[in-house]
Amino acid sequence: MSTHKRIIGIVLLINILLVSTHRGEFWPFSIFPMFSQAGNPWSRGVVENVQDTTRANLWETKSIDKIDNRILALEKYGIHEIDYANYISKTKDWNTKKINGLRSTFQIADYPDQMWLATRVVGSLTEKDSVEIKAIPMFLFTADTTIKNPNLFSQN
Amino acid sequence: MDRLFQNLFQFDAPDSIGTKIQLRIFELCTVYFTLSYTWEWALYVPRLSDVVLPLGIANYINVEIFFGDLATVNAILITLFCLIPFLFKKLRWLYAPAFLLFHLQHVVRFSQGEIPHSANMVGFALMGLGLAEIFFRNDIKKSLAFAFGFTVFFFGLGYTSAALSKLVATGITWPSGEHLWLWMGEKSIDILSKTGEFQFNWLQQLAFDYWWIATAILSFGIFTEFIGFLIWWKPLRPYVTLLLIAMHFGIDWTMNIFFFTFTVQLIVIGFPWNNLINKLTGSISKSSTQKTIEQYLLY
Repeated sequence: MSTHKRIIGIVLLINILLVSTHRGEFWPFSIFPMFSQAGNPWSRGVVENVQDTTRANLWETKSIDKIDNRILALEKYGIHEIDYANYISKTKDWNTKKINGLRSTFQIADYPDQMWLATRVVGSLTEKDSVEIKAIPMFLFTADTTIKNPNLFSQN
Repeated sequence: MDRLFQNLFQFDAPDSIGTKIQLRIFELCTVYFTLSYTWEWALYVPRLSDVVLPLGIANYINVEIFFGDLATVNAILITLFCLIPFLFKKLRWLYAPAFLLFHLQHVVRFSQGEIPHSANMVGFALMGLGLAEIFFRNDIKKSLAFAFGFTVFFFGLGYTSAALSKLVATGITWPSGEHLWLWMGEKSIDILSKTGEFQFNWLQQLAFDYWWIATAILSFGIFTEFIGFLIWWKPLRPYVTLLLIAMHFGIDWTMNIFFFTFTVQLIVIGFPWNNLINKLTGSISKSSTQKTIEQYLLY
């Protein structure tokens, strides 16, 4: 058994060293922190399939139930919903490269008659312990244009 | 300590047909999931354009060069390095480079901010197969038994570590029902984004209606994870495995996340299939053809 012990001991040591120096993750080593921080507000993403860009509340932050009947099914377009959610919720600096990265993920140039509104969705507990979910429009993509939400980004 | 290691690495009737079948199915399962993930990721990465969050080796090398054909080349190499040792039972040390390339494939695919854990135990199983052949050269019986025990060890450690992470990050209030409400809302958005529609199921409705039901669900979850290390002890293994599988179904029904790979691996390693197979096949006499097939498929 001594060889077994030695291997387990060494791998365990490497495990501890790697996870402690890499924020708990060095695949496959992990502290498995999924769902460890309970009660924190979260941020995800959806894509709204827009029919009318002239409507008054297009760029307003609104409750998710105002748009949940026209959400684009990302799986039909081969887009991984978690990747998209991470991209739109974790990107802080929306420079040209980041926005083009999103366009490239959508490959919207292949859908000339479509208008897709990339939307960040945030959820939190209210003081009355209910869940509030809000949709924040970010960018409107068409085959040849990208329009930023004027309420969030300066017009330059 | 010696008893723990005996529980992990020693089998009842080690030379029996039952033990051979269970160990080879464990190996088959590891190879199948490795190749399935490898190719799924290889086909997806050409869509990627930018590293959002570097993981593992991606902290030290720029993995953007793999956002194209190199991911497919890597997948071909992993496929060869897994199939040769599995099918021919030769050059089994190839599992070691297969593991390193699998790590690379993982960090290339998951460079977009998501940190999934679905393939972690496949990674440990493959690492176990690679290490086993380095330390127990040309002894397939010993090396498979080692890789099996190694995987069981990291399964137990992983679940208990997950429970401890929750207690450290949130404390004893972690199972409070409103936390489940928040997560159910979050996962509902992921499903809505994926499929374009979402309806809460009866269990989710019940958890939203009654705080104590949501709290009971989370309490069961953290308790089961916490006792995950008990899977190391053979007499307790089937019971702990049943609880863990039940927990995974609970996660699926409440948060719409099904850990399919974890569940299959748990079924393979968590029950004494070897003893059951030995009982079933004990009285059957074999023809020479059956013996030849057995020799090829097993070891």
